Amino acid sequence: MIDLVQVLILGLLLGGVYALMASGLTLLFGVMRIVNLAHAALILIAAYITFVLFDSLALDPIVAVLITMPVMFGLGVGLYLLLFPRIEGTHRYVEMTVLLTFGLALIVEGLLAFIFTGIFRQTRPDYVMDAIVIPIGEDQLFIPTGQLYAMVVSLVLLAGLWAFLQLTRTGRAIRATTQNRAAAQIVGINVRRVSALAFGVGLALAGASGSLVSFIFPFFPSKHWQWIALMLALIVLGGMGSIKGAVLGALILAVASAFVQDAFGATWSPIAFYLALFLILLVRPQGLFGAKLRL
Amino acid sequence: MSDLPIIETPVEAEAPTREQERSPGTMTRWITAVVLLALVLIFPFIARPIFPSYNYVMQLGIVVLMWIAMSSSWNIIGGFAGYISLGHAVFYAIGGYVSGMILIHWGVSPFLTAPLAGLVAVAFGIAAGLITLRTRGPAFIISTIAMLFLTLLFLDNWEFVGGTDGVNLPLAPFPAAWLKVPFYYAMALAAIGSVYLSYRVAHSKFGLGLRAISQDETKAEVAGINTRGYKVAAFALSAFFIGFVGGIWGYTLTYLRPVAFLAIAIAARMVLMAIIGGRGTVAGPVVGAVLIFAVDEFAVRQFGETSLNIVVVGLLLLIALLFFPQGIVGSLRQSGKLPAFLDWD
Amino acid sequence: MSLLEVNDVVAGYGAGPDILTGVSVTIDEGTSYCIVGPNGAGKSTLLRAIVGILEPRSGDIEFQGKKVNGLRPDQMLEAGVCFVPQDPSLFPTMTVKENLMMGGYLVRDRELLRKRLDLVYEAFPALADRHSQSAGTLSGGEQQMVALGRSLMIEPKVLMIDEPSLGLAPMIADLIFERIRGFGALGITVVLVEQNAVKGLQSADWGIVLDLGSKEFEGPADGILADPRIRELYLGKQLARKEHLL
Repeated sequence: MIDLVQVLILGLLLGGVYALMASGLTLLFGVMRIVNLAHAALILIAAYITFVLFDSLALDPIVAVLITMPVMFGLGVGLYLLLFPRIEGTHRYVEMTVLLTFGLALIVEGLLAFIFTGIFRQTRPDYVMDAIVIPIGEDQLFIPTGQLYAMVVSLVLLAGLWAFLQLTRTGRAIRATTQNRAAAQIVGINVRRVSALAFGVGLALAGASGSLVSFIFPFFPSKHWQWIALMLALIVLGGMGSIKGAVLGALILAVASAFVQDAFGATWSPIAFYLALFLILLVRPQGLFGAKLRL
Repeated sequence: MSDLPIIETPVEAEAPTREQERSPGTMTRWITAVVLLALVLIFPFIARPIFPSYNYVMQLGIVVLMWIAMSSSWNIIGGFAGYISLGHAVFYAIGGYVSGMILIHWGVSPFLTAPLAGLVAVAFGIAAGLITLRTRGPAFIISTIAMLFLTLLFLDNWEFVGGTDGVNLPLAPFPAAWLKVPFYYAMALAAIGSVYLSYRVAHSKFGLGLRAISQDETKAEVAGINTRGYKVAAFALSAFFIGFVGGIWGYTLTYLRPVAFLAIAIAARMVLMAIIGGRGTVAGPVVGAVLIFAVDEFAVRQFGETSLNIVVVGLLLLIALLFFPQGIVGSLRQSGKLPAFLDWD
Repeated sequence: MSLLEVNDVVAGYGAGPDILTGVSVTIDEGTSYCIVGPNGAGKSTLLRAIVGILEPRSGDIEFQGKKVNGLRPDQMLEAGVCFVPQDPSLFPTMTVKENLMMGGYLVRDRELLRKRLDLVYEAFPALADRHSQSAGTLSGGEQQMVALGRSLMIEPKVLMIDEPSLGLAPMIADLIFERIRGFGALGITVVLVEQNAVKGLQSADWGIVLDLGSKEFEGPADGILADPRIRELYLGKQLARKEHLL
């Protein structure tokens, strides 16, 4: 029994980070109908940046969030303006975003592999080794501190995202643009500027999650394919474009994968993600790419 | 009537009949086909005296013919039907493993089992198609990626086929000097076969139906086309030659490893070639295959076998999508400048 | 100087044919206009070209003497040209009040926004009742009211409304037209596009008749109503004559 609780806790802790990883992806879809297959590859960029900072300057990965977020924000705005205005309004726009971001993912993976090679990397701040031990009767529950901190940071950032979208003028503009792009234009919102900003925010979230992920999982250039499958499965589950849905989907999938891993071993974990994605896409083939951004 | 004068009127040149109007195009196609066919078939013999590194040159020929076969096949589902599969390398792997395993366990040459490998790929294509084609558009693309990775993970963990490390295959029993030639002809057969298949599909009712599906699936359904049947058929049909060349390729490599067939870059290349050449046209994938092959070779010469190669693939894909979504043949056709020898549609 | 001038504008969608084939229209401040014409005449297209959703292929559009071709809709809005499209284009999961407040997105002064919101509630009491209702659950007429109310939030100089009565029951359409007639008193120059020529012309001072992408004729609204050419335009010459004979 205690083992199950342990697995559950591990799942929940990871769920927070998965939620942060997926929140950017779902934001991008909600605001601009962009299915960003490169999202996980971009998370990897942040992970590698964090790794370099840790390795050379002993900069704590959580502190590195303060660097990766603005850097990725800038990258996001730039990438958006470079790639997406051209294809706006074309026939089968959403498909085009899939192909475009697929190409982007290849480029990112290739560059990362070229620079860093395929060696498994991971940042190892001290707190990764520790765990908070909670005695329950004769047994103990371990709460790994690394994952705990990551979850706390994720929740803080997600709360910040919520506040940004609900309470600021730009946030309102982003929400309006996701609900009805034409109407947003009519009330005077510069939808191109808002889209670029939203893309930047989405990538900033990816950046933060990259820093966190750098000490949770070992990573290598082609790891992103595993993560993107997970994230797509998760947001399809929770509803494309819904941030609340992404959080919920993240928790469900994280807990489920924790149990799978516990029962069948680590190799089955990625298989489970892809199977989950496959099944979810099948069970809800239409209508899953039709949701708008909700909080 | 008889007393009317017989008036000699000058016979004006008649407007060309439909037959005559068509024939310049058809003539050109025939000529192009015969010339290309002849070149392809004679090449191994011409190349012998010209190129000192004969086997290397033959290998190039093998590779480019293989890619022509693959991109032309992919075009049937990705171009004609408009369903973009990023996981088609699965059929490549199936072909490779079927022929390879038969070779190991029963000693039958892949040259004989390649068609069987193709058929197994088709069977898998029907099964996978029935499942994945329940989704559309972006969901379909993602489901094919999932299909690719599931297959990769499955093969990586299947001990019978050697898992990640794979298995070694015996060398082909041909004299070293002419070793590559049979492989060349096998690939040539596949390339010619798949381009011919593509041509026949394009000029058939089936092809018309696929194009209708690509334009507007709902309207096609309403017009009475069995869209599900057509899509699955196209998906399955596109698998045959990819499986076939997979079987031959494994033999060329002399080993089978999952990542050799299922690397995402392979699936991406197939798609890129068709897109850059011209999706939905017959000549497009061929043009794209030759072009990308040339770029790849150049890249390998310049940068070596590094991961920068997939950067090039990704970059070209972006450029193609942003600036030439119709591909070379498609854009030429649109601006009316398509030369006759490329007009096969 | 007229408020808005459209000079020989040619426009179309995407790579398609020209919908506007050289249309010239002058909008003066203080007059309300109704643009009528048969289907495909280019009425909606003209509004879209003016507000910047569609860029003219040739010709000029001038607002307050300055050329505005190619400006974005949000820039036109800042200049004072507001567009209410056929489909009300509301934010479905936001409330009525939030939708109206979004109308005032460009207005920074909160006090001003409050005052204008009260004005909108005065003009459309039904909206005041439903102020916390989700906009997606409103009836057609109520949605149209929100769309119109939203446009009042920025106090535009020119308000262009595309087919306000489309899909509405006659009684509700009448209410909408009545309100639109009242906008003139607020200093807003209204340009209406209406398929329902009678109702539309009754709500305006001046009528402009479009056909095949250019202006056929124009004149005082009641004059246009009585003009037999209108019948011809809508019903075709044969039918119009037949009807006359009957």
